[in-house]
Amino acid sequence: MNRVLLARFIDLIFVLFGVSIIVFLMIRLIPGDAVAIMLGANTEITPERMAELNRRVGLDRPIVEQYLLWAGAALRGDFGTSLWTGRPVAGEIFLHLWPTLELTFLALLIGAVLAVPVGCLMAQTRGGAADVAMRVTAIAGLTIPSFWLGIVLILLLASWAPGFASLGYVPFSEDPIGNLQRMTLPAIALALPILANLSRLVRSAMLDALGQDYVRTARAKGLAERKVVYKHALRNALIPFLTSVGIMTGYLLGGAIVVEQVFAIPGLGRLILGAIAERNYPLIQATILVVTAGFVLVNFLVDLLYIVVDPRVRA
Amino acid sequence: MVRSALRGAIGAGFMVAAIASASAQVLEIGADAGPTGLDPHLITAFPSFMVVNGNVYEGLTAIDKDLKTVPSLAESWTAAPDGKTYTFKLRSGVKFHDGSDMNAEDVVASIKRVQSKDIASPLASRLAAIESANAVDPQTVELKLKEPSAALLSSLAYIAIVPSAMEANKDALQKAPVGTGPFKFQEWQPNGFILLTKNDAYWEKGLPKLAGLKFNIVPESATRQVGLSNGQYALLPNIDAATALQLKGKPNVKLAETMDLAYTLIGMNVSKPPFDNAKVREAVNYAINRQEIVDAALFGAGVPGGPLSPALKSWALNVSQFACYKPDPAKAQALLKEAGVSTPVAVTLKVLPRQDVKDIAQVVQEQLNKAGFKVELVNQEQGQFIQDWRNSNFDMFASINAGQPDPDEYFYRTFRTGGSTNVFKYSDAEIDGLLDQARSQQDQAARKTAYDKVQQKLACSGPAAHLTYGTLFSAMNSKLQGYDVLPNRSLMLLRNASY
Repeated sequence: MNRVLLARFIDLIFVLFGVSIIVFLMIRLIPGDAVAIMLGANTEITPERMAELNRRVGLDRPIVEQYLLWAGAALRGDFGTSLWTGRPVAGEIFLHLWPTLELTFLALLIGAVLAVPVGCLMAQTRGGAADVAMRVTAIAGLTIPSFWLGIVLILLLASWAPGFASLGYVPFSEDPIGNLQRMTLPAIALALPILANLSRLVRSAMLDALGQDYVRTARAKGLAERKVVYKHALRNALIPFLTSVGIMTGYLLGGAIVVEQVFAIPGLGRLILGAIAERNYPLIQATILVVTAGFVLVNFLVDLLYIVVDPRVRA
Repeated sequence: MVRSALRGAIGAGFMVAAIASASAQVLEIGADAGPTGLDPHLITAFPSFMVVNGNVYEGLTAIDKDLKTVPSLAESWTAAPDGKTYTFKLRSGVKFHDGSDMNAEDVVASIKRVQSKDIASPLASRLAAIESANAVDPQTVELKLKEPSAALLSSLAYIAIVPSAMEANKDALQKAPVGTGPFKFQEWQPNGFILLTKNDAYWEKGLPKLAGLKFNIVPESATRQVGLSNGQYALLPNIDAATALQLKGKPNVKLAETMDLAYTLIGMNVSKPPFDNAKVREAVNYAINRQEIVDAALFGAGVPGGPLSPALKSWALNVSQFACYKPDPAKAQALLKEAGVSTPVAVTLKVLPRQDVKDIAQVVQEQLNKAGFKVELVNQEQGQFIQDWRNSNFDMFASINAGQPDPDEYFYRTFRTGGSTNVFKYSDAEIDGLLDQARSQQDQAARKTAYDKVQQKLACSGPAAHLTYGTLFSAMNSKLQGYDVLPNRSLMLLRNASY
């Protein structure tokens, strides 16, 4: 067990190191540098003024030196300051992390929790009208783009309940009701594709499991069908489900850019998008590292869950 | 007894709260993008400008809705006969948001800050004419100029006065602005909102009427529209025609409009063929049908425009005075033949990534292709576009630029030989002479004569084919009263609004 943990930790270090180099190089390869964008198209620019700004933000140094300076500071927990606002990068990320965490949690809660019974039901009624109806709905859920779904939800809500505050974000600690009001629609918009995806996955895994010998044995010894499905078959069907949930969580933690745009939520997705558009190098670098670390950690947690669910993995 | 007194107190408390919210509210604004910083001497983008200009900060002068220069922090001023010394009398009793008094020291420090190499303010060129700034006494500032500058007073409207302690500080104001304006900075949540609250010590008594301004950052246009219709936002400033048309006639929504100072243009690189030839540039102008662009790309909400915005009523020539503004593809073809270039003339057109500019570029492409050109559109990402623009790495580009209240501020740096935004590499002795003359001239009529000639020449054979001036819309809740929109996109008149 300890060895597994250690190996994972070493993996994490390597991944973060690799990602930091790739990100560092890639954002500098995009044409158009921070200083040019910062000065804008409408202002008077002299080469001297550009040089001054370059010096101010440290972009005049060789790239290797820039990387070493940044990496050294990052190792000491200092991610630098935003090129544009001068605010500490760590603080900016922290601010944008909460909406994303909350949205991830709610969307997974709705999506994953509903997916299990829906998937099981689909498997049990395989080929029946209920199965077909749910499968069609699931395919619709997968193919409807979330930005469209989001706008439709906003419009519907605006006509049904005009007083319902659905846009923007207020922290849960400041106004719990206002927070949940505003999070409902984006969480649903994010959860629908997850639900569609996961329920299809549960269905096929369950169909697989229900055809196994041990299920026949369980039925033969006279267990109730519910017990057969939920205790024997489901447990075995859960491994691919957990893997999928893990990967989705990783993606959601990176920020659901489209849904954040539509609902005006200040999450990580918009932070990254904005930072790239304005070539805010320190901000991009740190945010992507944080998201990467989140992704790796979630997958690590999923590995640990395998052990809980499937005793065979423990060996 | 105690309990009923308590109940009474609570009841009174509620009533006070209810009265306060009825008389003054925080105005919820739906903005399409967030600011990238709030230092008035460093920002360049509209989203930053609209938050701080006139709301948090004020200049010595201000621009009113007719684009006239009016007093602001300076109560009055006098110019010496030679036009090289200006004396400003400051308004008394003006306080910064941190409670300190605003005086001549602060004005001098603000001007020096903009001119400082270390701060590297993009506004520095506006003060290029100023040789020195001195505080004569706490209420009087004297500016000495290297040469007379006709645009000085309107330029000063864009130079925010900040506390003198900030003169060498590069970072503090980006995060937390401190000005003299009717609203003071309260909170900024990046990608979320910016909250300004009422400045109770504002020098103009009775203003502002609102309790504050909250700029909600809402990137999605459809979301802003819904937010306005269902009352979550009370104002969508500076929206485009397409959005305005969708909001027109919705219950509880009203539209205000003004002629935009910003203009769309096709820029041409005159340092290389084919646009080094004035005849080819003239052919472009004959090939373009500006009214068609207005109808097709701006939904009819705009006008064909020459080098100056029709909003500049005292300067702009009517476009009917430009021969090449009457579309004539045959004439364009003939000019190309005269120029001796082989047709079709193959050129690339780089496009600023904004929907209105992209739409316009497509119409222009079609029009030019009918008149002997073969235009390839290149859609670029913003950073790349700006880089190429700055390095004059283009045949043609399509863009939109913010306009200026005084012709000098636009023409001199854009079309003068060696001008700092003369990315076209345009150089014309006659234009240079006229621009120099109009800059140092005090007499309005003489300046007008010079700028008329400049417009005539630039309109047909200049390096930029000016296309359109759009109608600038703002959509607001019908309950919002007393708010006038400004052609330069400033929201400074929100101080007069009530909701």
